[in-house]
Parts: sequence; structure tokens; C-alpha cells
Amino acid sequence: MTGSLASAGPLGAPVVAQVTAIEASLFAFVVLTALFTALARDVLAAVIIFGAYSLGMAALYTFYRAPDVAMTEAAISAGVTTVLLLLTLAKTTRLDHEAAFESVNLPAAGAAGLLFAGLMLTMGDIPAVGSADAPIWSNPDVTQWYIAETYAETHVENTVMAVLAAFRGFDTFGEAVVVFAAGIAALIVLHREVFA
Amino acid sequence: MSLVDASLAAGYTLGDFLLVAAAGFAVLAVGMLYRAVVGPTMQDRVLAVNVLGTNTVVILAILGAALGEPTFLDIALVYALLNFLMAIAISKFTVERGGVL
Amino acid sequence: MSGTDAGVDDADTETAGSEFASGGGFGRDRPPRSDGRLDSERRQGTPYTESQVIMPTVKIVTPFAFTYGLFVTFHGGGSPGGGFQGGAIVAAVVFMIAFAFGIEATRQWLANTVVVALAVGGTLVFAGIGLVPVALGGAFLQYELLPIPDPVKYGMEGVEILGIGTIVAGVLIGLFFVLAKGFSEAGGFADADAFDDEVGDDPGTEEGDEPDGDDAADGSPEGDSVDPTDGGTTGPNAPGPAATDGGER
Repeated sequence: MTGSLASAGPLGAPVVAQVTAIEASLFAFVVLTALFTALARDVLAAVIIFGAYSLGMAALYTFYRAPDVAMTEAAISAGVTTVLLLLTLAKTTRLDHEAAFESVNLPAAGAAGLLFAGLMLTMGDIPAVGSADAPIWSNPDVTQWYIAETYAETHVENTVMAVLAAFRGFDTFGEAVVVFAAGIAALIVLHREVFA
Repeated sequence: MSLVDASLAAGYTLGDFLLVAAAGFAVLAVGMLYRAVVGPTMQDRVLAVNVLGTNTVVILAILGAALGEPTFLDIALVYALLNFLMAIAISKFTVERGGVL
Repeated sequence: MSGTDAGVDDADTETAGSEFASGGGFGRDRPPRSDGRLDSERRQGTPYTESQVIMPTVKIVTPFAFTYGLFVTFHGGGSPGGGFQGGAIVAAVVFMIAFAFGIEATRQWLANTVVVALAVGGTLVFAGIGLVPVALGGAFLQYELLPIPDPVKYGMEGVEILGIGTIVAGVLIGLFFVLAKGFSEAGGFADADAFDDEVGDDPGTEEGDEPDGDDAADGSPEGDSVDPTDGGTTGPNAPGPAATDGGER
């Protein structure tokens, strides 16, 4: 990953060490927050640490130049998920715990570790970030076409939005209906007929 | 982004130094995480997350400058506006455990 | 927070009890707080007063956040963002108002009709924009056939703004209200939380139009702006699984 990023960075060879510095710190932050979210004994503490997790993820997405994803992460995590989880906590009971962290269930941890190890075995076949072997570069006729032709085709500068709303419009319609169905499902599960 | 690409010293551009600064802020975020995880009271955690949010706004702004992408500031704005929501949500939840919501 | 929590006019013993109840949440080594629980009568007697910090700050922040949400929605074609993100930000603005001024007050201000109209209307607009080209002999969502100038761009903008943005905003606000109401075994509108403390103090609420003490209206289809559970019936023996744990830490 380290070597390939040099070609991805637009700033030349000296960037390599610094790119890995910011990446490493953001990765450490994200992994630590995810770990402590899982380990926190108190549910409210887990919700708060999960909010911190979203902050790191948004910065990471931004660094990889995916500002649309980062903005979705920001709006949904900071604005919506935390609030909905807090409301759920307010409507249920939260037990008082003496211990700060969950005690690790060893068999479950072993199973999760095995799964993790199995998944890590596949990492060798995944192309590095920015690598020329990555599928997004290996067939540039497809991927580069969107970048080159989006404005001419749709008169919209944001390629992501053009792909979502025009090139893959039917998928997006399905997603919008899924969001709508989620609201209906919440009403059904909570035995309500109105959003009030 | 000629200013960002201008060489400052020893071949390093201003963008490089900005990236180093962003990495420094990311390291600081790991430090702030200690208070969010350990913090004996919920108020400590709320403050830690609020500081982390401000820190993320700074990281995003620096990244926008260093990578020459002014639109990254939009994401920083989202966090600047919505981090406040997270803070008031948690802090009002800690009063009578959400009974005042 | 304990200063705003305890009532101003309390007797000395009452103040001591409230201080004990609210201040007990801040340390890990707090004593047992059997008399400070949310469902005890004394706790009901000293309602939480609105924060003098949160409410003015929300009044200042909300217009900017709402405008920015609209900007993200409307400007999705030229900058990061789009209907989904903008709708989420607009919904977050409503959450902000609800946290500052009370969820019940917000629920009455933003009626169920509005929420449902946003969600359903967005879906219908999206489907309608998709079906217009079908009616004109094309394929679903074939923007070129829309009878408007620059059809591809403005068709996409219409889908993003009027379709996705409104769906997401409406559904998220609706989820928020539904979750805030909680779940009751009766399956109706029963609620166990002391929501009525804040309703009367908000300038934006209509007071006095809620019938009192009718919290078993199972499956009642009403509820546009009148909620049958707002008044009264939040005694210590109110039904429901909600909060029976007093303090915080």
C-alpha cells in the first residue's frame, strides 16, 4: 500500500511518508473507536464512541477523495444515527455497570478471530490503493468514460450524482423506495399508524 | 492551487506541510479518544466528542487546502453544524436519562 | 446542570433531595438514589427547566443549518452532496429543534400530515418523473424526453430535490417521532414519559386542544396535530417500558 500510494498522490515522491502518516493515524483512530465501541460496557458510552468513529471515517473518506461518501457519513452519523440511538436508549432501560469494558467471551473471540484471519488471507489478492492493477484502472474504457463524458451527457458536474440519478437512476429509485419502506416498517413494528 | 504546490524548502511543497499538519491533528484525535473512552462521567465523553468534532473540522479543512479540493470545506461545514446537534443530544439525554426530551 | 434541574421555589428539604438526585449522576461513586428516580413523586414535582444555553444557540444555528441543507440538496450537481445528504441535514435540523424545545412541541408544530406528505410525495414525484418518459414512448427515467428545457440536468435535479431529498427528510423525521414516542405493549399511543413539562413553555405550540387522560386510544387513526397523550397521565404508575432509571453518570 505504501509504494502504490506514491503514484496515486498528485504531489510527487516526497509525499509517500506523509501520506502514510495521516493514513496511519486515521486508521488507528478508526480501528480504536470501532474496538472500544464493541467493548464499552455502558451503552451510552458506546453510542458516544461510535459518534467519534464516524468522525474518523469521514476524514478517511475525504482523504481518499470521496467527498460525497464523506458528506453522507457526516450527515447520517453525526446528525441522525446518534440521535436515533439516543432516543432508543431513552425509551429503554440502561443498566448501571461497574466495569468499564465488556468482558471478552473467549469462544466468541476465537471464532471472530478465525473469521478475521480467514478474511485477511484474501487481502493479498486485493490490489493496493491507487494501484494500476486495480479493476478501476484495468478497464479504463468503462470507468474513465463516466469521468470524461458525464458533463457532455448530463450537464452536471458532479459525476457521482450523475451516476446515481441518471446512469443508475432505476437503482436509485429502488433505494428511495427502500427508504420509504423503512419508514413504513418502523410504523408497523412499533404498532403505529401515524408518525406521531 | 499554485500556492499549495509552491516549493517551500528542500523540495517539499506547502501541501506537504499541510498534510503533515493534518496527520498531527489525526494523532491528536487518538489522544482525545482516551477521554472519550475512559472518561469517568458522561460529561467528559460529551466534551471529548465535541472536541473530536472540532478537530475533524480542522482536519477536513487542512485536507481541502493540501489536496487542492475546496469542496472538502462543504463536509467540514456539515460537521461544524451537526456536531453541535450531537453535543446537545447527548447532554440533554444525560439529564434525567432522556426524560426531558 | 443541577442548578437548572432543581426547582427554584423548593423548600430546603426538597432542594436537598433534588440536588442529591441530579448531582448524584456525575460521579461514579454516587450513593443509591432511591428517592431521586424519575418515577418518584418528588422527581415529578421538580420539572426540568429549559436550558438557557441550548435554546438560544439552537435559535441561532438552525437557520444556517437549514439553509445549508437546502444548499446541499439544490447544489448537488456542482459540489458534493445531493438529495440524500441534504435531506439528512434538513432532518437533523428538525432533530435540533426538537432537542431544544421539546419533542412534543415539535411534533405539534410539524404535523404528521407534513411528514407523511414529504415521504409519500417524494416517492410519487420520483415515480412520476420516471413515468413521464414512459408515457411519451421512452424508457423509465429517460430524461431526454421530459418536456422541459435542458431535460437531463433538470430532470436529475428534480429527482434529487423533489424525490430523494423529501423522501429522506420525511422518513428520518418520521422515524425520529416514532422512536421518540416509544413502544407500548398496548400497541396504541400509550406513553409513560413526562413530555408535557415542556409543551406549555414553547411559544410555537397550540395549547389546550388536547384531550386529557386518554392514553389507550388503540390504533386511532387521528393524530394530525392533536396527540391524545400529551395531557396528564404521566403519573408514577403510567404503563410502558420507558425510563425507570433516575440518574445519569
